[in-house]
Amino acid sequence: MSAVTNATDPGAAGSGRDDVLVDVQDLQVHFPVHGNGVLRRRVGSVKAVDGVSFQVRRGETLGLVGESGCGKTTTGLALLRLVEPTGGRVVFDGTDVGSLGRGELRSLRRRMAMIFQDPYASLDPRMSIGASVEEALRIHGLHGDRRDQRVAELLETVGLNPDYASRYPHEFSGGQRQRVGIARALAVEPDFIVCDEPIAALDVSIQAQVMNLLRELQRELDLTYLFIAHDLAAVQHISDRIAVMYLGRIVEVADRRAVYDEPSHPYTRALLSAIPVPHPGRERGRQRILLHGELPTPQDPPSGCNFRTRCPEVFEPCDRVDPTLQACTGEEHRCACHLYGVEGVEVEPSHHPDARGVAGRP
Amino acid sequence: MSATEATADDRPVVDEHRSQWRQTWSILVSNRMALFGLVVLGLLVVAALLGELLAPHGANAQGFEFYAAPSLDHPFGTDNLGRDVFSRVLIGARTSLQVGAVSVGISLVAGTLLGLVAGYRGGWLDAVLMRSMDVLFAFPIVLLAIAIVAVLGPSITNAMIAIGVAFTPIFARVVRGSVLSVREEVFVRAVRSLGASDVRIVLRHILPNVAAPIIVQTSLSFAFAILTEAALSFLGVGVQPPTPAWGLMLQEGRGVIDLAWWMGLFPGLAIFLTVMAFNVVGDGLRDALDPKQRSIIESRGQGVDA
Repeated sequence: MSAVTNATDPGAAGSGRDDVLVDVQDLQVHFPVHGNGVLRRRVGSVKAVDGVSFQVRRGETLGLVGESGCGKTTTGLALLRLVEPTGGRVVFDGTDVGSLGRGELRSLRRRMAMIFQDPYASLDPRMSIGASVEEALRIHGLHGDRRDQRVAELLETVGLNPDYASRYPHEFSGGQRQRVGIARALAVEPDFIVCDEPIAALDVSIQAQVMNLLRELQRELDLTYLFIAHDLAAVQHISDRIAVMYLGRIVEVADRRAVYDEPSHPYTRALLSAIPVPHPGRERGRQRILLHGELPTPQDPPSGCNFRTRCPEVFEPCDRVDPTLQACTGEEHRCACHLYGVEGVEVEPSHHPDARGVAGRP
Repeated sequence: MSATEATADDRPVVDEHRSQWRQTWSILVSNRMALFGLVVLGLLVVAALLGELLAPHGANAQGFEFYAAPSLDHPFGTDNLGRDVFSRVLIGARTSLQVGAVSVGISLVAGTLLGLVAGYRGGWLDAVLMRSMDVLFAFPIVLLAIAIVAVLGPSITNAMIAIGVAFTPIFARVVRGSVLSVREEVFVRAVRSLGASDVRIVLRHILPNVAAPIIVQTSLSFAFAILTEAALSFLGVGVQPPTPAWGLMLQEGRGVIDLAWWMGLFPGLAIFLTVMAFNVVGDGLRDALDPKQRSIIESRGQGVDA
């Protein structure tokens, strides 16, 4: 099955599907906010990612879902240290990514790659697509004498004609450019690829093609994906497990089927109810959970559960206990919600401007 | 390997491939003013390279009538020492272009380097570099050049160095500003995610993408450098006699303008034409390199064709 396997370290011998490739522990990315004064003193911080923990197992696809501004892209960037985390750890195949020096980080980036959301912006407009792909090989000194041949192979792998290698990005459509982006990510023969909404900027007709391509490549090259998307429908087919993110935190993580069949967090339920059903009868009967209010600013998140300002189920402990991920329908299905038992860290309750009255429901 | 379904998505949008620089060139020459400027510059370069061979007389050949009015023999007349003004203007092109090339070369290299480092690194280094550029920038350029020449002594070499230093902040600012926007582009992040070093990112990705404003600035600075050299020579701190230089000739002709107007007029016209040529080429380049302008110009061109 596996054509290319880079995982040959003896420590992982006998490891099955369950062994962890990427272990994210309490990851935090806070961006400083400076005042307008002459000294530009730091007046606060935007907590883009505020204590995120999850694991990606070798060979699986973990879907990371959340609305715009919830920190999912920042999480992906922090995994590759394209933004510096302000706290927590990312352990990639036993190596703490945060502790690496420049040189080590560069060699680690051979094993982790990223596919970007906007195929119009992620390719250098002044470089031919062949040169863009070849550059990845050049950086790591791969295939020294037969780079052209390898570039042609890579373009073919993603379904592009190798004769187009000398053309420039502006001559291609969005779907083709995204294929170039995928070829470039594959060039370094990575184990792990962060796919940051790779289909969000594409036409619907092209989305399925790119999706199928990614799945095929995963099968052939034994890749592990972190697949970031803003709606559950997009990750439904490709993910093995799904993590749902809200305002810098993960609120629910479970097997794909469990998320769809038994969504536990009120936010996940709302997200799921927003997916249209391609069946007129069932679509008519579909109950939609409408969330009220706006996403609170990550500069000043609500105390306790940060979803409480929009949650239809909000009750007494929500503003004073910060929920931790706990098992709900099964050990593998974890959810940060007090509906499954009040568990978490006691905090000082604050009055948030968006907060609605506590409904007093259990 | 996977032969993924090849569909209509598999064909490039543009069939014929033209390199971006060639496209820029064809847009540039379709602009009449820029074409005129290019022709003038071409003639100037020929004059600068072959001036001695083309000139009817030597630059300092004497023995003609003093202050002779323009005639067939001396199209631009003769000067106070009986030298042929036409030959001197022709040969003087070399001085002007040399000063322009060397001084702009100095400021281009220094300014681009400073701008790249300041813009890419940011932080305190950016602040230190750009504030010191601001200090240089605060002085009027001619005044700064005079001050530098006063310290180093008047000569053409020192004039070139002075102009080069005085123009460096302009390049540093232009480059830094462009680098600030390009370094935030997603493709820079994408290349970094592949493990590229900073040097590679700056040289292979940022520099080519800030080339357009640098090129435009170079051609405009050329004009100003030639003008500044003329001013310095006019004030007696640049090129020294008897070397033929337009600014110097203008100064020599100033005192006798009612006796021999041709001594000042023709070098002045040469300066005017050269500076204008560089300016219109610079303007044309700016339009040709700006993607938005470019599509407007292209669509206009298509409208005419249709």
